[in-house]
Amino acid sequence: MSAGLVSVLFVAVALVAVGAFVATWKRDLVAALAGLPLMFGGAGVAFAGAARFSAAGDPKIFGQEVAALLAVAALALVALGVGIAGRGTSR
Amino acid sequence: MDSLHAIGFYVSAAVSLGGGLLVAFLPGRGGRGLVLALSGLGIAGLYASLSADFAGLVALVCYAGCALLIAGPRYRVVDTPVGMVWRQAGALAAAGLFAVLAYAAFRGDFIHATYNGGEFGIAGIGRLLFAHDALATEAVGALVLVALVGATAAWRVRERGR
Repeated sequence: MSAGLVSVLFVAVALVAVGAFVATWKRDLVAALAGLPLMFGGAGVAFAGAARFSAAGDPKIFGQEVAALLAVAALALVALGVGIAGRGTSR
Repeated sequence: MDSLHAIGFYVSAAVSLGGGLLVAFLPGRGGRGLVLALSGLGIAGLYASLSADFAGLVALVCYAGCALLIAGPRYRVVDTPVGMVWRQAGALAAAGLFAVLAYAAFRGDFIHATYNGGEFGIAGIGRLLFAHDALATEAVGALVLVALVGATAAWRVRERGR
């Protein structure tokens, strides 16, 4: 069993699509925010996979760096969204 | 990628995608936060199987934070006036996006090369973050600062309004 770049990109694409699905499907705006980290995670997986399987270009760990930055950005945006949406009713 | 890493990759992919789908369909905020954390665990596993251990660790912490925010007591419901038809159209658009990106992924390829995977690589990533790509790191830092200040300001305005 093995996994190549195409498998990694398929999983990344599926994560982005699931995140977009969550963002559009949920009626509650704050619940829709949960799709954002999924989309960012998909982008990060694509970056990490490209860095893992690419032969040309230095440095090799550029994809890891972008993936880490995307995770931090997703956390910041969810915090901002939950904070801005603070005028609704609790459920 | 050897068999052990490949098994880890596919199991992590199933966990992350299954958790992501459950985020869409679970009703309560507690359950949604739990499955978002589960999905984050799967994404961290994906990073680890791609020899991106440091990114996996960062993702684990950040997704746990996202799950706490989604499931926490600060959560407030903000209903949108968008109707069911438009939400279904958005879901179909997400499926279309998957089809287009999957085609692009199928067509894409890179030159395969040997990779010295398995090392944590924190020193190299630190050099990248704070020397080679310092501007991008500072941009994300500024985004985090603005987000936290904005969230704090929004919470304070809400408390004053009561």
